[in-house]
Amino acid sequence: MTNEEIINKLKPIIVTYAPASESLDNLNENSDFIKDLNINSANLVDIVLDVEEEFGITIDNESMEKMLTVKASIDVISAKLQAK
Amino acid sequence: MIGNDLVDLTLAKTESNWRRKGYLNKIFTIAEQEIILSAAKPDEMVWTFWSMKEAAYKIHNRKTGVRNFAPTKLACWVEFAGNNITGFVRIDEVIYFTETSIFSDYIHTIAGCCFEQLPEIKTSIYEWPNNEFDYKKLGAGCVSHHGRFLALVY
Repeated sequence: MTNEEIINKLKPIIVTYAPASESLDNLNENSDFIKDLNINSANLVDIVLDVEEEFGITIDNESMEKMLTVKASIDVISAKLQAK
Repeated sequence: MIGNDLVDLTLAKTESNWRRKGYLNKIFTIAEQEIILSAAKPDEMVWTFWSMKEAAYKIHNRKTGVRNFAPTKLACWVEFAGNNITGFVRIDEVIYFTETSIFSDYIHTIAGCCFEQLPEIKTSIYEWPNNEFDYKKLGAGCVSHHGRFLALVY
């Protein structure tokens, strides 16, 4: 799966938990879930669980640690997909 | 350095479903999960542990510059005393002391690097944004905002 395909599947998940904002309209690889998109940290887990379901992967806690930005999440997803 | 974290219980109820499969495992240690699942009020216990972790993380993050999302590595111990819960959070080899107050609308935790620091922490909680003002001017030691509440500690 290309980064673009990953981001297209990731976007609707992020939108579920992010309040409407200009940063959300301009969502890109550099967007930070908490700093830019104002996502509540308790919802980061929901994003991880949704990602697991959507991509059919398991994200261990060590990988989850890094998932604070769109870019970091794409890297984790892509690595897990390749390891499948 | 001090930390604090407030959870608006009404918002938490709609915003997060901690009963969702896999949720507890990703956030809480096995010991914490056992306490949550055997608690008379499991919702309160979930958000108590969560606010302890957040309050301690806010100090640890500033101290070390490390930013990550590793809630199971922040291990909580608690002691109950009525509506107040004292405890500590261990992050790597560092201990942060906490005190949590439970109210009907919200849960608030303060955190410090030593136990003696806790009684000296002053807390101001505002309804937000009803009383919106420039809180940054007040120079609080730590700010927490969730739902209808803003908490500042000094």
